[in-house]
Amino acid sequence: MSAPLRSVLTAFEGGARSRAEVGQATGLTADVVDAAITHLVRIGRLEARELATGCPSGGCGSCASGAGDSPGCGAPAPSPHRSGPVLVQLSIRR
Amino acid sequence: MTAAPLSRPAATPSCHAGGDGPAAAAGAPVVALVGAPNSGKSTLFNALTGGRRTVGNWPGTTVEVGSAGWAPGGVEVELRDLPGAYSLDAQSPDEELTRELLLGGLGERPALAVVVADAAHLARSLYLVAQLREQHQRVVVALTMTDVAQRRGVSVQPMPLAEALGVPVVVLDPRRRDGVQRLAEQVAACLQAPVPSPRPIEATLDADDELAVADERFSWIDAALRVGSSVQAEPPATVTDRVDRWVTAPLIGPALFLAVMWVVFELTTAVAAPIQDALGNFFAGPVTRGADWLFNHVGLAGSWVQQFVVNGLIAGVGMLLTFVPLMTIMFALLALLEDSGYLARAAVVTDRLMRAIGLPGKAFLPLVVGFGCNVPAISATRILPSARHRIMTALLVPFTSCSARLTVYVLVASTFFRGHAGTVVFAMYLVSILIVVLAGLVMKATLWRTVGDEPLVLDLPAYQRPTWRLTTSVTWVRVKGFLRSAGGIIVATVTLVWLLQAVPVRGGAGFGSANPADSLFAAIARFIAPVFAPLGFGDWHSVGALVVGFVAKETVVTSWAQTYAAADPSAGQSPVQLQHHIDAAFTASAGGATTAAVFAFLVFLLAYTPCVATVAAQVREIGVRWSVFGIAMQLTVAWVLGCVVFQLGRLIA
Repeated sequence: MSAPLRSVLTAFEGGARSRAEVGQATGLTADVVDAAITHLVRIGRLEARELATGCPSGGCGSCASGAGDSPGCGAPAPSPHRSGPVLVQLSIRR
Repeated sequence: MTAAPLSRPAATPSCHAGGDGPAAAAGAPVVALVGAPNSGKSTLFNALTGGRRTVGNWPGTTVEVGSAGWAPGGVEVELRDLPGAYSLDAQSPDEELTRELLLGGLGERPALAVVVADAAHLARSLYLVAQLREQHQRVVVALTMTDVAQRRGVSVQPMPLAEALGVPVVVLDPRRRDGVQRLAEQVAACLQAPVPSPRPIEATLDADDELAVADERFSWIDAALRVGSSVQAEPPATVTDRVDRWVTAPLIGPALFLAVMWVVFELTTAVAAPIQDALGNFFAGPVTRGADWLFNHVGLAGSWVQQFVVNGLIAGVGMLLTFVPLMTIMFALLALLEDSGYLARAAVVTDRLMRAIGLPGKAFLPLVVGFGCNVPAISATRILPSARHRIMTALLVPFTSCSARLTVYVLVASTFFRGHAGTVVFAMYLVSILIVVLAGLVMKATLWRTVGDEPLVLDLPAYQRPTWRLTTSVTWVRVKGFLRSAGGIIVATVTLVWLLQAVPVRGGAGFGSANPADSLFAAIARFIAPVFAPLGFGDWHSVGALVVGFVAKETVVTSWAQTYAAADPSAGQSPVQLQHHIDAAFTASAGGATTAAVFAFLVFLLAYTPCVATVAAQVREIGVRWSVFGIAMQLTVAWVLGCVVFQLGRLIA
């Protein structure tokens, strides 16, 4: 059994930093890598959070990315509150 | 598990809304249409039934289920459009209902399930097929979006894929009704055929191991796709791919990022300078004259009230407001970079640098946020899993150069390095990164030797043309934050500084009429000033401004403006006049090494405690003891670096 999900997790642990690098490390197609990441996020083995850059000096309360009192940065991704490109940080949940 | 009989399930939707379509005949077998949200399921349902449907909530739920009669190959069936679901492991009420309806939790199972699979995201779509193939269930895969997949270099071969999956695969385009007839024929044929056996699963698989079970399904999907689809060896490179090849390259990426940031600061300072001067003249002219005229008319000319308003509020807050165009331009440029997707690449480049020197990858998020504002950055440390990570990162965040410090950089850089202000500001951001890196390494080598690295991957969005709406909205929100602080904490600080400057401690003048050099403010600043003599700026004006800067970094500017305006009213009325006084103070205190003293001042300003709000956030996140340690560390680092810069600079000069 090829175990694509474990391969993807191993690639992350090995330092892969983008989907393309995960694909190279595992030999999986981009489609399978995408599906595997989505599934790992879904079952809680990976954590996806928004990464905002350039905060307002007024703090989270005046943040365009925030919703109510919740800051846009570090919010679970993909957030429905943001438009435009969003950098998503994926990390392994232990 | 048993085969589903060709009969109507006991439970049926309560049809209380919409639709005038013919219902299926009683007892007609049910064909379920399932698939992930946005896979084209409802479009296919409409194409199959001619848009006639009955919609209603499933009994006991708020989830809508559509149904209509359909006659594939002359066989009368009830076609049910089930809520979108990615898998049978439900995570929402919609998915829960779909799971129950498919697995027979709410009556008999459907006679057949048509899984609508998006060819552009085929692996994701096939997960549901993998799960359904573990059941005694007739399945037909309706493959949509093959044109989109083709454009991405993926071509699907339906026959080999069908063989690998063990179910029929029909390529169709529901919008054009292409393939709808083929689907009807396949469904009719399947309904007449016996229910296929479930696909074999490894006997050694631990059913309680969620990851192992999912991995087995993905392994099956991967194997099916390897025979049923082909990917071009070199998929057509998108614009994003081509640009990213350069923008995120190990050497060119960082160099490009630095160049972009240099352009941002150069553009900001160069474009804003004339506007700032004009705004300064506005405060110096009409606003000040208007205030003086008003006080003359109400008989308060020469009073302490006039001193407070003109030399305190107008000089201090007015001076800060001249920086609004500068902040607006910088925020707009950063918003453009963010909206285009470039800042995401810059984040990758910076992340790589941090990893190279061994800093924890996850600490990267709060540190990036810190370059905007330290307060939310401290709050963002909550996402770090270990307490050690949180403390270490919260201690590093104050060294990231927030936008509030920019006003002081620009004022000082324009005073001493006119024409190169943008480059000096840019250099301060580089120094900030350097301090974060060095302080991080020192802490990792001393306090937290066992802090491990957290794997992280950054998912880059595609580039896009920045939108006017988003850029202006983000810029306005940030400028509004700057104005709000100018109207709140800055006004309060200006008032306090004015009070301290109004109280004489020598010279015998009355309240509000003393020379600032004889005030309580000057006495406190003079008492502390010798500490900064080794840094080249042991002048009470500069030291007083730094002390006030504990409140917020913008108050360094307002404090300077107030202090000099009280002695020379023209100083508080435009940046150029103020710059003359700052220049004179540094020249006097630096002993001939003015440039070295100015750099030492900027480095100290960068490294010492950012503001009271940041300290409050630190106390909240890491406690009083670590916060006090943090302040001591910031002051020590700031003083030592300032001293090194001045002493080395003096030697070179």
